[in-house]
Amino acid sequence: MNRRAVSFLVAVAIAASFCPSPSALADEHLFGWVRGAETLPAGHADAYQFITLRTGKREGVYNGWDFDTEVEYGITDKFQVGLSIEQHYFRIRGNEELDDLHQYRFGGIELSAKYRVLSPFKDTVGLAVRLEAGYLSHDDVAGLDQEETYFDPEIIVQKNFLDDTLTFHVNGGVQFAWGKKPAEEYDSELTLHAAMGVSYRFAPNWFIGLESHIRSEFPEFDFGHHEHTVVFAGPSLHYGAEKWWATASYGYQVWGEGNDEPNIGKTFAEEARHEFRLKVGFNF
Amino acid sequence: MHPSLRFALVPAALISTPVAGHAVVYLSIEQAQQAIFPGGKATPAPVKLTAEQRKAIEAMSDVRQRDDDVRAWRMTGGGWFIVDQVIGKHEFITMALGLTADGAVKGIEIMDYRETYGGEVRNPAWRAQFTGKTKAAPLKLDHDIKNISGATLSSRHIAEAVRRLLALHDIALK
Repeated sequence: MNRRAVSFLVAVAIAASFCPSPSALADEHLFGWVRGAETLPAGHADAYQFITLRTGKREGVYNGWDFDTEVEYGITDKFQVGLSIEQHYFRIRGNEELDDLHQYRFGGIELSAKYRVLSPFKDTVGLAVRLEAGYLSHDDVAGLDQEETYFDPEIIVQKNFLDDTLTFHVNGGVQFAWGKKPAEEYDSELTLHAAMGVSYRFAPNWFIGLESHIRSEFPEFDFGHHEHTVVFAGPSLHYGAEKWWATASYGYQVWGEGNDEPNIGKTFAEEARHEFRLKVGFNF
Repeated sequence: MHPSLRFALVPAALISTPVAGHAVVYLSIEQAQQAIFPGGKATPAPVKLTAEQRKAIEAMSDVRQRDDDVRAWRMTGGGWFIVDQVIGKHEFITMALGLTADGAVKGIEIMDYRETYGGEVRNPAWRAQFTGKTKAAPLKLDHDIKNISGATLSSRHIAEAVRRLLALHDIALK
């Protein structure tokens, strides 16, 4: 493992250690990017819609909209499966690196499975493992044609405090992807990703939080070949009712570094300066 | 709006059918009193806890006592009736606890419940687990109290509330 990969893991550990000690609810999303360790009860389902806006590059106009429609079903009280459809809408103009585009693109289809090993409400710490796999027909940076397939195992840790009103979450995973050409220069890529967040229920139904997510990409599964690393951080606000919930969150690119990019503490080749995400979910 | 953007939003519209949410109040205070103490008469006996009493309750029960004000009634025959609120997933759950004159649980009632899952906490069989418990009982999930899948948080908080109220009875009501 090279110095950049080690730096990524150290950054995750340091960030986790600085977060205050900290519940997600039956797969109700308290955050925009961070996941909780709970799963749906057996026989129950939920459906939700994500709308994400990634906006702001070094130059020109860049608005990348992601529309993620997902349904999940609890097979057992500890095991749930999900299916999601991803779509994009791009408005790109005046960026030297990207072609102008003002168009809809179908993103792809994703399948997921999540198993809860320990309950955050009953055990000392909540723990879940999640596996996501998908087929993506267009890339999410410029809507270019591709034939990407990927799988993405992830570990989710959650610790609750203060009668489960203060919760702390850490996620970490690795994504293995193939078929990224011609959207990317290389066919295969490994992505290390992590996220952490703290949430507090400040009034009945209302939760406020802070979250951060970090991603580091290595073409051809080679830790000696670093493409870029990016860190986003920002607030989240969640409202949960008996049958539905909504979450609004924002992430600012606090730090980034990319190959062949100016050393300005930001990376814009595949990332944007701002990320806004709205989620609305319904329980059945 | 660009025509293709409308297409992207179709799934959002499909799952955005409003779902009505409403507070379900199952029992009034009087109804809960009669359910636990049939034919009994209640005399209000509210209690204001001192800081020392709160600390003692928390030390005995290992559960946080959030409120100083205790909504208690003295029942004919020497028993106690207490109304309490516990933290649910989204909202507070209002419950009532009846204690015999010697400090054992006579019964519990769930007066309102507004959470997505776990309405089973109102099932008589689940609530009957608490009957006869005293301050010596562990009152812990998967020990002497069965968990309700999908409502672990509510089940645990109700069990902890009973443990806390038994301690409160011992310290502030006896």
